[in-house]
Amino acid sequence: MDGQDKVSSLDACIKCSACTALCPVAAVYPSFPGPKSLGPDAERFRLEGIATYTRYLKDCSNCKTCEVTCPSGVRITDMILRAREMALQEGQTGGKDRRRRVRDRILGRAEYLGRLGTVFPNLTNEMLKLSFLRGGLENALGISRYAPLPAYKPKFKPTKNTSPANSKQVVYFPGCFVTYNDSLTGLAVVRVLEHQGYDVIVPAFGCCGVPLQANGEFEGARKNVRKNLSLLNPYLQAGIPVITSCTSCSLALKEEYPKSRVPGGELIGQQTYDLFEFLWFLHERGELKKDFQEVTVSLGYHAPCHLKAQGIGIPSLRLLRLIPGVQVTNLDSECCGLSGSYGYKREKYPLAMEIGGPLFARVQAGVTNREFQSIITECGGCQVQIQHGSGIEIKHPIWIFLKAYGLSLT
Amino acid sequence: MWDGIVVGGGLAGLLAGIRGAERGKEILIISEGVGSLIYSSGVIDVGNPGLLTKQKNHPYALLGETALNKALDYFRTLFPDYRGERGEVQYALTPLGTSRQGGLIPEGLNAGVLQDGQLMVLMVPEGMKDFFPEVIKVNLEKTYPQSVLTIHQFRLEAFEAWYALGKPITGMDYARYWCSAPGTRALKNVFNSLVQRLENTTTDLRNIVIIFPGLSAGFSMLLQEELKRLPFPVLEMTAFPPSFAGYELYQALRKRFKALGGEMIVGAGVKEVERQGKRCQRILVQSKGKDSEFRARKFVLATGGIFGGGIEVTPQEAKEMVFGLPLFVPRGEWTKAEFLGEQPYARMGVEVDHELRPLDLKTHELIWENVRVIGRMLAHWDPWMEHCGGGVALASGWFAGEKM
Repeated sequence: MDGQDKVSSLDACIKCSACTALCPVAAVYPSFPGPKSLGPDAERFRLEGIATYTRYLKDCSNCKTCEVTCPSGVRITDMILRAREMALQEGQTGGKDRRRRVRDRILGRAEYLGRLGTVFPNLTNEMLKLSFLRGGLENALGISRYAPLPAYKPKFKPTKNTSPANSKQVVYFPGCFVTYNDSLTGLAVVRVLEHQGYDVIVPAFGCCGVPLQANGEFEGARKNVRKNLSLLNPYLQAGIPVITSCTSCSLALKEEYPKSRVPGGELIGQQTYDLFEFLWFLHERGELKKDFQEVTVSLGYHAPCHLKAQGIGIPSLRLLRLIPGVQVTNLDSECCGLSGSYGYKREKYPLAMEIGGPLFARVQAGVTNREFQSIITECGGCQVQIQHGSGIEIKHPIWIFLKAYGLSLT
Repeated sequence: MWDGIVVGGGLAGLLAGIRGAERGKEILIISEGVGSLIYSSGVIDVGNPGLLTKQKNHPYALLGETALNKALDYFRTLFPDYRGERGEVQYALTPLGTSRQGGLIPEGLNAGVLQDGQLMVLMVPEGMKDFFPEVIKVNLEKTYPQSVLTIHQFRLEAFEAWYALGKPITGMDYARYWCSAPGTRALKNVFNSLVQRLENTTTDLRNIVIIFPGLSAGFSMLLQEELKRLPFPVLEMTAFPPSFAGYELYQALRKRFKALGGEMIVGAGVKEVERQGKRCQRILVQSKGKDSEFRARKFVLATGGIFGGGIEVTPQEAKEMVFGLPLFVPRGEWTKAEFLGEQPYARMGVEVDHELRPLDLKTHELIWENVRVIGRMLAHWDPWMEHCGGGVALASGWFAGEKM
């Protein structure tokens, strides 16, 4: 946002409090002033150089529910994130001690953890199951011993299908979750895109930067943006679409990357597609492969916050309804509570579980009443959290398409 | 290709979407935020249909009383908790304890029960925001002189952290808590201690009415059952925004729409519409990064007038923001000094034919064949003077849904 936008966004707030009334964090955390106070209210003071509510800036989970809710289009989360960065630059650590700073640095670096974890995934996973180790992590770093740290899998290495070379190309931005924790989903994405007639290019991207930003590492996040953009730029210049299967990555590529003034920044927003947004785009043009086999399954669907924030609707639901045999119920649920790495922190874990409580209950009730057999959602974080909270296994929707197309990973 | 796209997610837009989806149509609703129901008391104002159907150009006159009645009946089949026979005047309490008329009123808000009471007990949840028990007491005793009001204050363990911080608790926070499982249990305790207190001081519990702010049982079966067990009626109050009763209605409408397979995009606005002859072909939605394109056979404009952002007013002009439709603008002054008096700008809006399709102001020719305008965007009515905001939203929304 440039200066004028900032002011007009601020002036658009009519103080109706709808954002605070629907903020998942404010509902469970009484000290948290809520998005209205922390965003537009405090912004008036900040414009006058007066810092206020600084220690609560880090408690915003960055789920963007307030921005989606606001009837007047105020960019509330954006204001809070900017204020948080400003406060950090001015040396106000927001009540963070050294231990939490180290912890946030680690959680922000999903890719560092990931690289370590994927060298010996089994060993890492076994170690993470050891309660004394998790206790140690909690005491030393404040990473909650109960939080559902995702399991590490062998690193994502996209293999090309041997079928004849495709004439069209897309770039796939897998994101940390696919790269380090769920490589098979990444492969499924590649297979489905190949089936549509696309050659899938996967450059050696770093983390999209969202976890860094969420953990207060604003400069680090920008560094990642520049690195990824330099890898993306040649493809962007050639007009090749960029696809993500992680809704936080796609939101970042659409919303944060265009703010970067390096080459490619002017194209990235236009050329990025959420995976299902892209498939729906093909469907609208009559180019989507329709050789679906029947898949008899009933599913509950959870919409991730960062998908809702994109303003594209829910293309995966529309597409799933094209597959014969698939029954899908939109859970119409609110935030799962995890918000990336928010729920991993010792002091946030109980909040995250309370926020997700109604969703977990809904998932369990739906499965018990046989309303649906299992749950799908695009976001890896939501998957881990809902599984942790409800005990029910959850997958990325792409698996249904892999099955419907009769494709295999190898 | 959608069968219908509704721009605007308030009462009118959601009802249009629900009726359309129920008729087997694929409907998409696009809304810039949660819509204005979160500001609404949950009471549906219908006004005086007999009078308003005779008023030239009024939406009731365009649609006719039959359509209005069908729409009201349809709404009541969706939400049976809403009561109100045709032409019957009903009352609900304002947040200050005065009474106000309404057309359709959720059972819990119906202030009719106060007529027979001899003792009113006003429940006062500790630290409740925008709640003024002393003012309410004065107003209620003035309106119901046969009755005496006593105050029953209570606090809840679940909000101890809030009390300790001195942080006000909105009616919405309280209401949401009562709807949760632990909240419903806590409510039982609150009533138990109230009954104990009353039994010590009063002999007959039958002439008592409990007035309970920050409680809204309309969409919670569990709460309704709990309240039915009590020896006295419990009267809920309307609230200042954000209001739980309005929000719960919004949620119920949304859930209904989605359960029928409807899709909603919330938090994004329409940037551009594409026109071919007199038909709208597609619209561009301002999504993150790039615009998303949606095609439909029919479109409904339900962007909520000036307050909803559908009309932008500057000192020079008034502009309809999505289709660029011509607007009826009153001649002379737009506003008058008396704040609660008649305000000419209230009648600003789009002029339409009997099918709610937009007309040119001068030639009265149809300008878009597949666009219908509903709710607050319509011209020639005043929700505050005529008390018919909910009725216009429902009648026009239902009609658009029928035509989708």
